[in-house]
Amino acid sequence: MSEAENRLNRRLFLHIPTVFLVIFFVLPLIALVVLSFWQTENYKIVREWTAMNYVTLATEPAYFIFFIRSLFMAIFVSVFSVVVSWPIAFFIVRHGGRYKLILSLLLAVPFLSGEVLRLIALQGMLGPTGLVNGVLLKLGAAPLRFIMYSNSATFIALVYLYLPMVVTTVYLSLLNFDFRLASAASACGANRFRIFSEIVWPLNLSGTIVGFLLCFIPTLSAALAPRFLGGPNGVLYGMSIAQQFGESGTWALGAAMGVVLFLFSMLVLGVFSLGIDLRRTGFTGMGRQ
Amino acid sequence: MNQSQNGAEAPYIRIANISRQYGQVRALHDLSIDIDKHEFIAILGPSGSGKSTLLRLIAGLDRPTAGRIFFDGVDVTDLPPHKRGIGMVFQEFLLFPHRTVRENLAFPLRMTNQPPQMILERLDWAEAILSLNGLMDRYPNQLSGGQQQRVALGRGLVTHPTLLLLDEPLANLDRELRNEMEVEIRRYQKQLGIPFVYVTHNQEEALSMSDRVAVINGGKLEALGERQLIYDHPPTPFVARFVGKSTRFDGAFDAASKKVDLQRYNYSFPYEEVAERKGNARVEVFVKNERFELLPSRSGSAGIPCTVADVVLRGPFVEYILETEADERIIAVQPKREEPLALGTKLSLSWNPSQCHVFPAGR
Repeated sequence: MSEAENRLNRRLFLHIPTVFLVIFFVLPLIALVVLSFWQTENYKIVREWTAMNYVTLATEPAYFIFFIRSLFMAIFVSVFSVVVSWPIAFFIVRHGGRYKLILSLLLAVPFLSGEVLRLIALQGMLGPTGLVNGVLLKLGAAPLRFIMYSNSATFIALVYLYLPMVVTTVYLSLLNFDFRLASAASACGANRFRIFSEIVWPLNLSGTIVGFLLCFIPTLSAALAPRFLGGPNGVLYGMSIAQQFGESGTWALGAAMGVVLFLFSMLVLGVFSLGIDLRRTGFTGMGRQ
Repeated sequence: MNQSQNGAEAPYIRIANISRQYGQVRALHDLSIDIDKHEFIAILGPSGSGKSTLLRLIAGLDRPTAGRIFFDGVDVTDLPPHKRGIGMVFQEFLLFPHRTVRENLAFPLRMTNQPPQMILERLDWAEAILSLNGLMDRYPNQLSGGQQQRVALGRGLVTHPTLLLLDEPLANLDRELRNEMEVEIRRYQKQLGIPFVYVTHNQEEALSMSDRVAVINGGKLEALGERQLIYDHPPTPFVARFVGKSTRFDGAFDAASKKVDLQRYNYSFPYEEVAERKGNARVEVFVKNERFELLPSRSGSAGIPCTVADVVLRGPFVEYILETEADERIIAVQPKREEPLALGTKLSLSWNPSQCHVFPAGR
């Protein structure tokens, strides 16, 4: 390959994506940070530098409650999704046979409709006169109150929305896993439990962490699900941000909330990525033909 | 010592009438092998012959559809691998990539709940016997192929298992390393005094290491015997073709003159008996490449006339690639002499009738 061609390739594959990322990713982020240090009054932006928004966030307990609520919601949803994903992904990889691809693609079917549509459908399922409670009422039983406009309903919705992400990630991880390592462990005298805890789980931990994060980060900033299903005590942090930019028109405060969320998410990503060492996952190890 | 029902001494490992069927496919069919305590046995067969299936059945990684397996008189057929007390070495090594050499070696000891003192002793033992000094804290991806192989062997041996199963453990190594490891592996086996069951498709490996060779073809046991016997007296055409390097000729046995005539050459040699067929029977003749006799061509000589087409030097041996009048190529292996035969030399090819193997054709 000639030097000129090489340079052209570099430009195509490195520079163009860089430009794209700067325009559509870095610049909006900078705009958000700048906005967070301004003020909004009567639906107008006041361009005066101030840290008032951050002071408000630190002193007003409501925002702290929203944040903690979001954090716990994200942890519960992600952990639950990981726990449920493993058996599903494991089953597809080990017993899917030639239907593996189709089974894994089926997981993405809900994505064919919109998020709002799926939430409205869930509303129909879980609401006071929804499918679940409607049937219970018809049978003369008491309706399940905890799934009507509550944090539980939001939990169910968020699991429904992000479980496919986690299953797909764990599935891909297990698909790349060399199950002959499990045979080797078995021949070494390991029983099923120890094969899992010593070999299968640690070697798929990276994939699981990625799946966890793919669920955790969007759940942390979830806005739509709590809005449709959360009820009066179900305001989450992301929903509150949406409100700042919508009904209340306090964009600068919303921007500050966004910056806090962004920094926290980066922190979580950083901490978890410490646990990922691809060289030790078997992807580059011996034993794959 | 365990006694079998009829009072005779039971073999250390007994594989009795094992069959394994995958759907319609018969991977193994009614196969029986007994293995002695100090024996190195090679399971030799082409790919797809069922030899790896046999190994997995002995290990307990798979269950037979019929037949039983006994270790030291105990029926282990229904036991999972971790209750059989075996060691196993795989073709792709299959070291645990997230564990150091030390942790890989300690793994089988931990899994069988050995006391910490014992684990340390065995780790030292493995480090010494396999010369792994300085490698104990490395990860598998930081090791060369040969080092990984030694760790894999160590992982199979640290528990001092009832028997060690080896599934083509040298297939991924280069030739020189392979020869070195062949000697090493045999040395470990003699040192430890436990049976090694060594699966391979490489007849050289099988012959160089084992005491006995079991040849498997199409899921059936073709031959089982001392390696020398298998090599010198192959019981079936398949074994004759597969063990050692041979050349095959078509011929016909003339019962009246007790001679075998080759079909494509004007060459015949006396032969006593060919199986049970009467009259003139078509036969297959196998001659090991190193058992050809090469003589300078003279008019009226009895051999197959041929010309030296190429000469391949193989250290102490020379391979002559000979072209016959029938346009066939025959390889003759000879000890290296001072001056190898020149290209184009006309030769007469023959062999000692007692050194070739004749089988009825078209079975």
